[in-house]
Amino acid sequence: MNTDAPVIEIQNLVRRYGKHDAVDGLSLAVRPGKCYGFFGRNGAGKTTTIKCLLNLLRPDSGNVRVFGLDPRKNEVTIKSRIAYVPDVVAFYPWMSVRDTLEYLASFRENWNQDIEKDLLNRFQLDPAKKTTSLSKGQRTQLALIGAICPEPELLLLDEPTSGLDPIVRREFIETVIGAYQSGDPNRRTVFVSTHLISEFEGLIDEFTIIEQGRELLTMEADAARDRFKKINARLPEEIKINLPGALRVKRNGRELEILANGNSEQLLAELKAHQPEALKIEALSLEEIFVASDILKKANA
Amino acid sequence: MIFQIDFKSGTPVYLQLVEQIRHAAASGGLRTGEPLPSIRPLAEELRVNRNTIAKAYAELESQGVIETVPGKGCFLKAVGSPLTKTARNDLLVQEIDRAVVAAHHLQITDDELLALVKKRLETFERKNHAARD
Repeated sequence: MNTDAPVIEIQNLVRRYGKHDAVDGLSLAVRPGKCYGFFGRNGAGKTTTIKCLLNLLRPDSGNVRVFGLDPRKNEVTIKSRIAYVPDVVAFYPWMSVRDTLEYLASFRENWNQDIEKDLLNRFQLDPAKKTTSLSKGQRTQLALIGAICPEPELLLLDEPTSGLDPIVRREFIETVIGAYQSGDPNRRTVFVSTHLISEFEGLIDEFTIIEQGRELLTMEADAARDRFKKINARLPEEIKINLPGALRVKRNGRELEILANGNSEQLLAELKAHQPEALKIEALSLEEIFVASDILKKANA
Repeated sequence: MIFQIDFKSGTPVYLQLVEQIRHAAASGGLRTGEPLPSIRPLAEELRVNRNTIAKAYAELESQGVIETVPGKGCFLKAVGSPLTKTARNDLLVQEIDRAVVAAHHLQITDDELLALVKKRLETFERKNHAARD
């Protein structure tokens, strides 16, 4: 088996609701063992894309492959190798935490009891508690236990931490890193759609920003932080200075804030020629890259 | 040891870890034979991908800074680079050149640069001494 074959491959995916194009020609590929971020605003087409991977929706055109298989034809095989945590999780109201986990385990070939025990303990979830009496955070924790115990090759997370308190969010991410990533690295792929980007920053290897159903930017996280930089300069006096290479220049009297697109050295040199009193450079975080993505679109074009 | 990750530095996270461990080894923060944190708890604590930590440790191992004992973890090795003296000199010259270039652009004179180098060597020596006591 080719171990470098993508776990997820999407080519020119189109999915409409009536006349509205929810996903409009999206392509991306997720390699095994990577943690892939899928960033976009509400309504950008993230959930529609994920639902096409799960055969909950059928593409109008284009190709979707998971482990090289077509979800429309191999739904059961694919689902036996993945786990999915949506943003809103629902359980049968008459079941307890214990019943729910046993029910979920009954669909799985493999269920790691040690991880289950460890996580129930970590989240301090009472197995006897009815699912109806769980808080939103606890319901997400239960869904995460249900997703990790079968040790799936692919973990699909759709806005998993939105609406949760900061401590639950932090624990969620630590659990994905600790409990999920502890297996064979090539059989532990994460695909996470989120707009709470800063929390996932350290986890993300590569990402795609999606806007209005189309790919805006796809990059490796380290390469993106190396390419997009913010320079702050304070000049001795207010002068007209032209920086055609900059993505954006904000001016406030003698102070400038400049966005660099892989050309920070050159911009720094141009600024230094004006004897700045202060000069600072830092990388954009993934969240700042996302926020600035309307500007970056020009950079990519 | 305590690590600090800064996503805004523009340096890849695994290289930040490599540099911090090399720094700790040179200043006595980490002693020969002392274990490095295990990958899983460190990844959880820093909330970075496990692969990032593994990559940092692999890089340090290839540089001869640490060694992996199967089943036990990673440990700081006694100083003993596998490279020849000439190769080691060449690597250091590259680093020195960077400092010389930086000093030129910051308008630091040669004498000031030499004095600063001497001062830094003393600082590391002091830290090392404090760590031994």
